[in-house]
Formats: sequence, C-alpha cells, structure tokens
Amino acid sequence: MLNAVIPLLLDSLASAALIFFAAVGLTLVFSVLRVLNVAHGSLYSIGGYVAASICLFIASRQLNPYWSFLALLFSAVCVAAIFGPLIERGLIRWTYGKSEAVQILITFGLFLILEDLQRVIFGVQSFYEDAPMRLLGTTSIGGVVYLNYQILLIGMAFLIVIGLRLLINHTRLGRLITAVVTDREMAQSIGIDTNRIFILAFSLGVFLAALGGALATPTSGIAPGLGADTMVLAFAVAAIGGLGQIEGAALASLIVGLARVLAIYLAPSLDAVAPYAAMLVVLLIRPYGLFGSVAARRI
Amino acid sequence: MTSRGISIVVARCLSSLEWLFRLDRGVPQGKVRWVVDGLAGALALGVVAATPAAAQEKPSALGLGIFTFTSGPAAAYGMPGKNAADLMIGEINAKGGIGGVPVSATYVDEAQGAQGVIAEYRRLAGDAKNQVMVAALSSANCLALAPLAEQLEVPTVGWNCDTHQLLMDGKSKYVFRPNGNTVPEFIAYAIYLLDRKPDVKTVAIINPDYAFGHDAAKIFTAALKALKPDVEIVAELYPKLGSPNYQTEISRLTTARPDVVFSNLWGADLENFVRQAAPRGIFTSSQVILALGETVLQRVPLPDGVIVGVLGDGWWMSPDARAKPETVKFAEAYKARFGEYPVFPSIKMANALIYVKAAYDAAMRKNGGKWPTRVELADAMNGSKVETLTGIAQTRTDNDGLVDQIVGVTVRTSAQQFPVIGDMVRYKGDSLMPQAGQDPLAWIATLKPEFAKGLPKPGSYK
Amino acid sequence: MRTVTAAAAVLVLALLPVAAPWLQFVLTLAIAKGFAALGVAVLLRAGLISIGHAMFYAASAYGVAFLARAGVNDLGLLLILSVLGGALVGAVAGLFLVRYRAIFFAMLNLAVSMVFYALCAKLYGVTGGTDGMPVPVPAVFGVVLGEPAFKSVLFYLSLGLMVLIGLAVQRYLNSPLGHALAAVHTNEIRLEYLGIPVWAVLLIAYVISAALAGLGGAIAGFAIGRVVPDFAFWTASGHLVLIAVLGGIGGVPGAFIGALFLELLHSAAVTVTDSWNLIVGVTLIIVIMFMPQGVYGLLARKEAASL
Repeated sequence: MLNAVIPLLLDSLASAALIFFAAVGLTLVFSVLRVLNVAHGSLYSIGGYVAASICLFIASRQLNPYWSFLALLFSAVCVAAIFGPLIERGLIRWTYGKSEAVQILITFGLFLILEDLQRVIFGVQSFYEDAPMRLLGTTSIGGVVYLNYQILLIGMAFLIVIGLRLLINHTRLGRLITAVVTDREMAQSIGIDTNRIFILAFSLGVFLAALGGALATPTSGIAPGLGADTMVLAFAVAAIGGLGQIEGAALASLIVGLARVLAIYLAPSLDAVAPYAAMLVVLLIRPYGLFGSVAARRI
Repeated sequence: MTSRGISIVVARCLSSLEWLFRLDRGVPQGKVRWVVDGLAGALALGVVAATPAAAQEKPSALGLGIFTFTSGPAAAYGMPGKNAADLMIGEINAKGGIGGVPVSATYVDEAQGAQGVIAEYRRLAGDAKNQVMVAALSSANCLALAPLAEQLEVPTVGWNCDTHQLLMDGKSKYVFRPNGNTVPEFIAYAIYLLDRKPDVKTVAIINPDYAFGHDAAKIFTAALKALKPDVEIVAELYPKLGSPNYQTEISRLTTARPDVVFSNLWGADLENFVRQAAPRGIFTSSQVILALGETVLQRVPLPDGVIVGVLGDGWWMSPDARAKPETVKFAEAYKARFGEYPVFPSIKMANALIYVKAAYDAAMRKNGGKWPTRVELADAMNGSKVETLTGIAQTRTDNDGLVDQIVGVTVRTSAQQFPVIGDMVRYKGDSLMPQAGQDPLAWIATLKPEFAKGLPKPGSYK
Repeated sequence: MRTVTAAAAVLVLALLPVAAPWLQFVLTLAIAKGFAALGVAVLLRAGLISIGHAMFYAASAYGVAFLARAGVNDLGLLLILSVLGGALVGAVAGLFLVRYRAIFFAMLNLAVSMVFYALCAKLYGVTGGTDGMPVPVPAVFGVVLGEPAFKSVLFYLSLGLMVLIGLAVQRYLNSPLGHALAAVHTNEIRLEYLGIPVWAVLLIAYVISAALAGLGGAIAGFAIGRVVPDFAFWTASGHLVLIAVLGGIGGVPGAFIGALFLELLHSAAVTVTDSWNLIVGVTLIIVIMFMPQGVYGLLARKEAASL
C-alpha cells in the first residue's frame, strides 16, 4: 500500500512544484499591479530559452558544469532586468486605471509579439540542456527511480513561498508593496513612489516567471507553443488559489498537481482535462478562488 | 477557343502591366506590390478560370504549394521537410527543372490550423501557375484538404499524411499518398517485436493524445493480440501533444513494470521523453520501441537496443539508399547546408517531389511532350511505380501508396558519432497492407500467428 | 449618407468573389468571424470581456457536424438548430457566468471554454479527437448542390444574414436593453436602484452573444468543411476579442470591418512573412493605444462607445 502511495505523493509534489513556478509570478504581479499579464507564459518560456542557451554555451566551452546551476539563476535575473522595466514602463503603465478589457488586450498583443520573437530568435527546434539534471544523479524511492533534480525543485518551490512571504512581511520593500496593494492612493499621498514599486514588483514577477522557465528546462525541454500552454495553466492555478494570493497559488498547484497525477495513474484519458476541471469545480464553489476575496463592483 | 485566346491575352496584358507598376513606382515594393499583384492576378484569374483549359503550352514556371509546419511544436518534424524541399527543388532546377520548366514552391505553415490551411489551399489552387499541391504533414489537415482537392481537381500529394482514413473510401481521384499509412507502419513494429522478443507478456503504450497516437495504439495492439493473443496491455498513456514534461508518466510506466514500452511520440516530445526517461531507467528495465526514433538519433544519445524505424523505407543510410549515388549526394548536401543528416521526414518530402517529377515525365511521355493538364497528371500518378531516393513508391489504383517498411534496433558504430539502425528488416510494402477497400482493423483481426512466419526476419536486411 | 456607404460596401463585397474566386472563402470566413466578434462586442459594451467565446463558435460547428451525422441535411434547418444550440449552451453557461465581473468573468469564460476544448480533443470516439469531424455539404431547400455552387450560396447567404442580423443587433443595441449594457459598464448599482435587474440584462446579452458566435461557427463549419478542437482554443477566443476591438465596438459594422480587415491582411501577409502574430500583436497595441474606437470609430467619427 505504502509503496503505491509514495510515488503518487512524490509525483504530485514534483508536478506541483513545476506548476507553481509557472503561476507564482502571475499571481504576484496581479496582487500589486491589478493587471492580469497574458504575456506571462511567454516570459516563462523566454527564461527557459535563455537558461538553456547559457547552459549550452557552458557545455560547449567545457567549463565546469556546476556553473550551469548559477546560469539558471543568472538567466532569470537577465530576463527580469531587461523585460521587467521595458514592459512595465512601455506598456503596462499605460493601462493603469483603464478597464480590464484594455489590460488583457494589451498584454495579449504583447503575448503575440513575444511568441513570434522567440520563434525568430531561437528557431523552432526544441531547446534542451540537461547538465544540471545529470550532475545530481538519481535516487530510488519506493521502487521508482527519481531524479534528484526533481526533489531539488520541490525544495525550491518551498523556498520561494517562504522567501516571498519573508520579503513581503519583513523587508522595507515588502511593506511598501503591501501599502500600495492595500490602498494605492493613500500610499501615494504619504509619499511612496508607487511608480518605482510597480517597476520593482513587475520585474519581480518577470523574474519569477523566467526563473520558473529556467528551472524547468533541465527536466523539460522548451519548444514553441510552450508559452501558450503555460499561460492557461498559470491562469488556472492563479484562479483556483485566488488572484494575487501567493499561498493560494501554492495550494492550488498542489491541487492541480495531485489531480493530474491521479488522472495519469487511475484514468489516463482524463489527464488533459484535469487542471481545467479542477479549476471549474473550485470556481463554481468559491468564485474568487480558495484564498480570494470578493472584488467590489463598479460604482 | 476564341474566348480562351482573349483571356490569355488579357491575362498577359495585365501581368505586363503589373511589371510596369512595380518598376515605375519608386516606392519600396511592399504595399503597392500586393495591391497591384492582387488586382491584376485576381482579374486575370477570373478570366482564365472561366475558360476550361484543354491541352496547355508550357508555362514559364511550375508552382507547387507545399504544406508543412514551420512554426509551433510540430515544426521539429515539419522543418526537416521544408529543408529537404528547398534542397530537392534546387537539385531539380539545376538539372533543368521538370520538362524544361523551373519549379518554384510556395510554403504554407500548417500551424495556422485547418481554416488557414484551407484558405491558403484555395488561394494557391486559384492561381493557374500552381499545378500540384504537396499537402500535408498533419493528418487532420490532410483530411480537411482532401475534399477540397477533389472539388477543385488539383492533384494533391500527401507527403506525410499517415492516417489510414485518408483514402479509405477508395473514391479519390486527385489525392495521392506515395507513402505507407498507419496500418503497415505499426503492424511492422508488432511483427518485429515478436520476432525479436517472442516471450513478451506485458506492454505499456505512451502515445501523443491525438488521432495519430490513438490510431497507432489501436493498430499496434490489434496486431499484437492477433499474432500473440496472450499479450496484455498494462498501461495506456496519452499525454497532450507538446507536453514538455513526462516525469509522472515515467513513474507510472515504472510502476507498471512492462516487458515492452511502445511509443510513437515524435519531435520535441520524443526528445523530451527520451532525455527524461533514460536516467530513470526505463530503457534498462523494459524493451522500448520508438516508432519515430530515427528522427532523434542525431540529437539525443539513445541507448543501444531500442527498436526504431522510419515509418516507411526513408532511411538515408539503408543499404538501398547507400547504393544510390544521388541519395548519398543528397544526404551530404543536406548535411552541408543544414548541419544535420536528413531524417526520415526530409526523405519523405524529397521522395514526394521526385514522385511529382516522375508523374510529369510520365504524363508528357504519354501525350507526346505537351505540358500535361491536371487531369493528365493525376492519371499519370494513379497506378504508377516511382523509383525514389530510398526504394520504390508504388501507387495502387485506389491512390494509396505502397512502400517498404524498415525496422531495426539502435547500435553504436565507429563510423558515426550517433547511434544508427542495425539488425534491420525490410518488409515488402504490399505484404503488410489490406486489399484496397478492405477495412484495415477488420483485416488485422483476421491475421494469424502464422502470418509473421512468411515474412523476413530481423537482421535479414543488410 | 451612412446607408449609402454601407450599401456600397456590401455591394463591393458581393462582387469581389466574381473577380477573384478564391476570395470567396476568405470573405465567408471573415463574415463568420465577424458574427462571433459581434457577439464579443455586445458583451464588451457592458465592460465584460470574454476570453471564451470561441467555445460557442466551436460548439455550434460541432452541432452542425453531429446533426449532419444524425441525418439532418438541410442548410436552413442546420443553421437554425445550431444557432439555437449555441444560444442554449450560452443560456446554461450564462446563468453561472453573468454573476461575475471584470477579470473573474474573463477567467471563468476561459475556464469553461478550455474544459470544452479539452473534451473535444479528448473524446476521440465521439468528436474524432484532434482530427475533428467532417461537415458535409447540405441540401439547400431540398436542392442538392455541388461543392462550388454550395460555397457560393453559403457566401451570399452569409452576406445577406450579415445585413439582416446586423440591423437586428443594431436595433437591440439602440433599445433600452442595449443601452442598459453601457449603463452596467459605467454604473451598475444605479441601474439596480432604477429597478432594472442587471443579471437579466446581462443574461439576455450573453445569450445573444452566444447565438451570434454560434451562427459564425456554423457558417465557418460549412465553409471549411471540417470542425476541429482548435476552434475552441483560448487563443482563438483571444482573436475574436481582438477582431472586435480592432474593428471598434461603437457599432455593428465594427466587428465585420475588423474581421474583413484582419482576414484580408492575413491573406496578404502570409505569403510575405512567417511572423504574422508579430504584425497582429503590434497592430492590436497601436489600435488600443491610439484609436480606442477601432477602425469603425475612425470611419463613423462621432459615435463614442469604446473600451
């Protein structure tokens, strides 16, 4: 019995970790900027492309392969530093105070542009660099061989949840962000530079998206179309958890991960439907997500 | 007759006008060009299309519409096809084109979905320059285009189109597939597996979740059960097409502990699966069959002993291919230009173009050297036997193709840095096909274990 | 003056395929998408953005395919039944969905449509999976037509429907019910104080928009001859919103102008470049930033409705 349950649990956790990486940035950006960034999935895959490119470079130069772990982090920082300010200042800032339709459409336009740009820059073949995964080796648990990298990812997901919570509750930046989230106008009137907070928060969101893509590359390749798929998955997770709720996103990732794994083990034909079905069920019972609160109607 | 003459004159005038417009305006071609092209082309077409052409004179260029995936996840399979088409058309033109007419191709990206593909097909077919369509890669698009081909009476060569449903009704006049289909392709694996591993008891299947994956699973399972009734399918997984991550599926496969893992994943999906499954021991605990494994031989380090094949005879290193100087030349030119040797989708595309050329040559031989009409061209394709880069593509009277099937296992050699296919068998194309008009699954169910006895054995193709 | 312009535009559309036969398919498809985008535009008037309307578009096309498989073989009957089907699905989904606003409305529509998409792709035995289902050529008032003749009939029928239904929707938008939509957008509570049940206003709008999307889907199904799950993918829904916004939601012609513009641009662009999405994305952003009333707003100049 235990032998049957352990792989199930481990697989759920591993799959939840990957799903969480895809969603956490989206939900963070929404909590601060109140903008649903439809291009989030593209930033995720760009992070993956950049990380894979750097790792391939490291491999081609026969540098110490352990550098590739650093490269994963470095690529996410690069993507965030370039795209974060650029997109926030260039496009998103323009949508503040406009209707959701405008925000969704502007970021949808951005999504279309980024998807094509990736194809032009990185081509259509899949990108893959598994040095970090191979370096760590494997462990046999309950008769099933797992990659140590998968277990590392589970740990990373926990670290990110704790890290974000610490950042928001215990740093100056976090308190400023909280102030802006709670009452934008009040924050502005007491002298908080909201523009700076928005750039920082958006760039943090881009960093998390790119980091997610980067961390996923060693076990799962990057190919065209990944952005669109990641986007709906991130949507589903963010909606289940409650938009803007980081712990909500973590719990939602676990639910979706478990739903997918159960589907694969017990009813493989339902695999693709599982995340959306989970989303529908949760939203029908709790329309604003597990941790979400009711949004005010327009007055 | 007169009306035809007038229409040609009008068309000529308009196209010369178009030239003037393009040169005289100092504007960068962009906008003006497509407006003028569109108008002139549209009017000319309207007039020409209104008069059914009988025997034609040779055009200045032969247009081909080539449909393949140039974006999206399927581009991993589609781009080698496009590359091969570029190369092959260059080779044909270097030798003077088809019957002295140079060939030019318009590529259509299948990733835009059925509606975009149909719109493009109609647009290309409306242009009298385009005589033949090479369409398409995806079975869904082939099925969507087939009725259109019949309606517009444009000879259409399915360069990939695996689905056995395509020509099942036997009524096609203009749709051709100079390839095998899912039936022989996947029966071949069942027979090879049982020859190599006669004591197989349990099989797990992991195929992409769309028609090709489900069809293949159905055919492979049916063939296995017919040839060895006690085989049990212990897991059937259908991950979404384009999934990047197979870790859960791999755990599930490991817990099922099957003797054999069968998969027709392809493109990026296959690469991802192999890279994720290899360190987790799937290849050592089970005999793995990767039906489209040849496409990744040069990209992923596949372990030895994996059963792979090329869904046909299109392996550039097969003994038959090595014996043909033009195939060797093609492979080297491909490697020089694209950095990799051709994979079987490349060969399928190149063979499809050879097939088109052969049909033109045959049709012109038959009508005394005149430029053939679309009808004459289709007649030339029906029942033809064409020597391709890797073997013979025979077309039955129901327009379905017969090609040999090559299956083998991966082996490492000193000659190449990547694994190649060894211990090969080459099944004759017609030996694995039901008769025209027969329901394929019903036919498979009638097979007896003795069926495999008469077929060649692994290692016999050297 | 406006009527003359509109009549002239319709006449040009009617004559275009005579000059360039292949355009007939592109135009039919553009009108089909125009209907669906009009549905999206109706909801956009109330400030509700649906990234899931491709579901109704696809549902109705699948409806035609299923009805045809079941032996129904008349164009008129198939169109009516499938539009009713679209409306029915819309009514059921709408009952739940019109309770939500803003981002939640958008996301729930997305969720429902993605479940629908996944099911269509998944239920291989029923829907043919990703290969989709064929939509055969139906009889027109008992007359069995060949393919080319049917496609012409379909085109001119769509063109006629575009005018008739366009006028009907125009009337609806100018009726109190239609004006109530804009009121929901600006101030929903005030509407309730006036004693107007907001949910009923929205439900009616939702059903109408679903029916319009359904009509578009049915026409597209006939024109293409095949229905595949991709009809319902979320990017398809995104494109419908895009068409509506591009054309402008200020008036009924906007959706059709947007669809025609996009389809013709697409036909022209695909032969030149692979980067079609890039062009669309840039166009979309420019339109939203600099001409929020869309192409139609540019032409009509005075009507003010925008996002």
